[in-house]
Amino acid sequence: MTLLKMDGITKVFPGVRANDQVTFDLAPGEIHALVGENGAGKTTLMKILYGLYRPDSGTIRLRDQAVAIKNPRDAIARGIGMVHQHFMLVPPFSVLENIILGKESQTAGVLRLEEPAREITEIMNRNGLPVDLTARVEDLPVGLQQRVEILKVLYRGAEVLVFDEPTAVLTPQEVVELFKTFRMMRDQGKGLIFISHKLDEVLDIADRITVIRRGQVVKTLLRAEASKPLIAELMVGKPVFLHVDKPPAAPGAVILEVRGLRQRSPRGHLVLEDLSLEVRAGEIYGLAGVEGNGQSELVRAITEAVRLESGDVLLEEQSILAWDVRTRRDRGIGHIPEDRHRYGLLLPFSLAENLVLGRHHRSPFVRGSVVDFARMRAYARESIEKYDIRTPSELTPAHALSGGNQQKLIVAREMRFDPILLVASQPTRGVDVGATEFIYQQLVEARSRGKAVLLVSADLDEVLSLSDRIGVIFKGRIIREFRQEEATKEQVGLCMTGEKRSA
Amino acid sequence: MRKTKSKYRVLETLSPILGVLASVLVLLVIAMIIGEMPGKTLNAIYKFTLASASRLSTIFSVAIPLFLAGLAVAVAFQANVFNIGVEGQYFVGGLVGAMAGIYLRLPVYLHLPVVVLASMAGGALWAAIPALLKVRMGIHEVITTIMFNNIAAALVNFLVNGPLSGRGEKSLEPQTLKIQSTALFGKLNHWFNAIGLKVPKHVYLDYSLIVAIVMGFLVWFLLYRLRQGFEIRAVGTSLEVSQYAGIRVKRVQMTAFLASGSLAGLIGLQEIFAIRGVYTFEIAAGLGFDGIAIALIGGNSPVGVIFSSVLFAFFKQAGYGLQLYTAVPNAIIYVISGLMILFIVVINEVTTRYIRALRRKEAA
Repeated sequence: MTLLKMDGITKVFPGVRANDQVTFDLAPGEIHALVGENGAGKTTLMKILYGLYRPDSGTIRLRDQAVAIKNPRDAIARGIGMVHQHFMLVPPFSVLENIILGKESQTAGVLRLEEPAREITEIMNRNGLPVDLTARVEDLPVGLQQRVEILKVLYRGAEVLVFDEPTAVLTPQEVVELFKTFRMMRDQGKGLIFISHKLDEVLDIADRITVIRRGQVVKTLLRAEASKPLIAELMVGKPVFLHVDKPPAAPGAVILEVRGLRQRSPRGHLVLEDLSLEVRAGEIYGLAGVEGNGQSELVRAITEAVRLESGDVLLEEQSILAWDVRTRRDRGIGHIPEDRHRYGLLLPFSLAENLVLGRHHRSPFVRGSVVDFARMRAYARESIEKYDIRTPSELTPAHALSGGNQQKLIVAREMRFDPILLVASQPTRGVDVGATEFIYQQLVEARSRGKAVLLVSADLDEVLSLSDRIGVIFKGRIIREFRQEEATKEQVGLCMTGEKRSA
Repeated sequence: MRKTKSKYRVLETLSPILGVLASVLVLLVIAMIIGEMPGKTLNAIYKFTLASASRLSTIFSVAIPLFLAGLAVAVAFQANVFNIGVEGQYFVGGLVGAMAGIYLRLPVYLHLPVVVLASMAGGALWAAIPALLKVRMGIHEVITTIMFNNIAAALVNFLVNGPLSGRGEKSLEPQTLKIQSTALFGKLNHWFNAIGLKVPKHVYLDYSLIVAIVMGFLVWFLLYRLRQGFEIRAVGTSLEVSQYAGIRVKRVQMTAFLASGSLAGLIGLQEIFAIRGVYTFEIAAGLGFDGIAIALIGGNSPVGVIFSSVLFAFFKQAGYGLQLYTAVPNAIIYVISGLMILFIVVINEVTTRYIRALRRKEAA
């Protein structure tokens, strides 16, 4: 008997096939790992299972019965539980209150607490999840907060449990404890879906491993047939180099120098550990790495003022640590942000306004303090033409554009500001093929014009096709650098998992 | 493009009108339940609002401080600052202005601008403390400004009863000394009469109208023509995007907060300098809170606030009409104002989504 079978699941978003004929099953008493690069479609699949998205086609069967999961409430009622990466807890509430929240029992309007407390204690003992029920959640360390999340799911009678990167926030000791719990749950016949980037952990705990790439299942492996290089290869796929016309590199002087950056997260983990790198004029430096290894922190240290434990960031041999974002932009740092909606665009503002954002305070867009809208619009029309942004007019609000055109708008803006250093973070995420190619051309163009380009991307193909040099970031440091000619996908992919030696 | 744009415009302007009509409908239903026929209710409203030049011009007179209140709140809202303290800021601003009017000896042409500027300074001063607490310490302005409203009320009460009381003035209520004639606001009624608009003598269309018009224009210019206004609107749209773009968010919010406080300081001008000629603790309270509703209905834009403040004034006057001519209590107007906000916000949201969908179709 299978506990869960998802068959032929397809989900299309504008411009992207997030899931394409995905088939996935889960037996009782099994831990099934789901691995793949960011954007490969794991999260979409799990959101479909949890009722957050409706699939365009495909079926879901629970215990051999076809079901249509309408929403998360429905999913929970059918015994599907999700432990989110970002906890869904009410910090000032006690552990007990958090667990029963949404499933409270009452007598004449008065909350019943003893009975649930007994029941939860029993669940805790059975699964090796001790937590003080009276403690306030905000006082607990992350590992215990996660236990509360798991208890919430178990208290609702989940048989299928989804764990979305549960180890990302844990210390190694906490991971050991979590895996003990995993095994106990498995032994009770529950089915666990384990999403993770960390291949060691996957190999440690999973019974089966399904690899997803670009919305499709590449392969489902038994634990016995799986190995780290094999999974890494399946994850990144056979080299598919997008065609990029790139003249030979002519690197010039060092533009960006990052020296021994050390930074801790608010929780005290080291997120950057003595990270150093250099990017020269006329060079694209690609940062390869599994997401969450310090890429975002590095980008922030270059583009905005952040608190560092030690280290220095230099632009043309001058330390920029004390500069705020405006100064950095004024001195020539361009930035394509990783999340264009959250950081890159004022969505209700017009294209013209968005195209000058960041330089709106300087001539020719202002005279004194007065904004020169005519100039701004003329500039916008030029940019639309030159960067082939598809829009009815320069006054159209940014939210009305397609994702690809929004990204072209950002690339156009940052390129036209003529920076000396361009930091491009996930420049083609969620962007259609046409726009992707165009953005690649622009990055190469920037390089030809003698700019230093730092490319950060979760897409290894992209990094390998574009970069002159590739640095692999792992746990907050650059563990190895490759020149483009010597980098193979297998080697870099393996290196991303923390293996320094080539296989 | 032009054509489609005007199509959206029509929808955008239609939505608040629908909200107003819906709330009037509810008013009529409530009045019927109380036992008044719709005809009588409407007649009562008509008599007190539109029936005569006196009534009509009174609406505009009442709208002046409401407009300034709405404008004050709107400027802050544009930068995502919730200045709930307009109430306290105009009490303090009015007092500082009145002090300048009482104790400074200046010729008219200087005294008038000085009291206006003093009122603005007073309002800005009272806004400065919560503003600093917000940008320096991250303390939310809603909490501090509400507390500062209470502190302002107590402070002003104390000052007017104590150190600044006009002992010797004959009055039942505690008040300051009389404001000097050089600082008093005259009426503009004869101007209106000269261009053929009939404004009776007793209606206050005074110099504060000029102040309101100038401020309305300045705020519009700030928001839509100056770089600082662009940044205010950017910060109000997204803090994260603004930070990414290098906008100095704290400075921008501080600016908007102080601008809001300065405008708030002007709310009392009409009552203090035109109507009473003296500062008392009895100057109309609650205008700061009306300003929140007016800003919301006016979509936080100066032009929108013109309409919403006149609308608010209309309903205020309508309330008196109902009180006088029907069994419907005056207080019902508060219910209707509340409903109006609700209707307008909901209808506005629905049309905004609809327009967004249309635009997307157009761009695709």
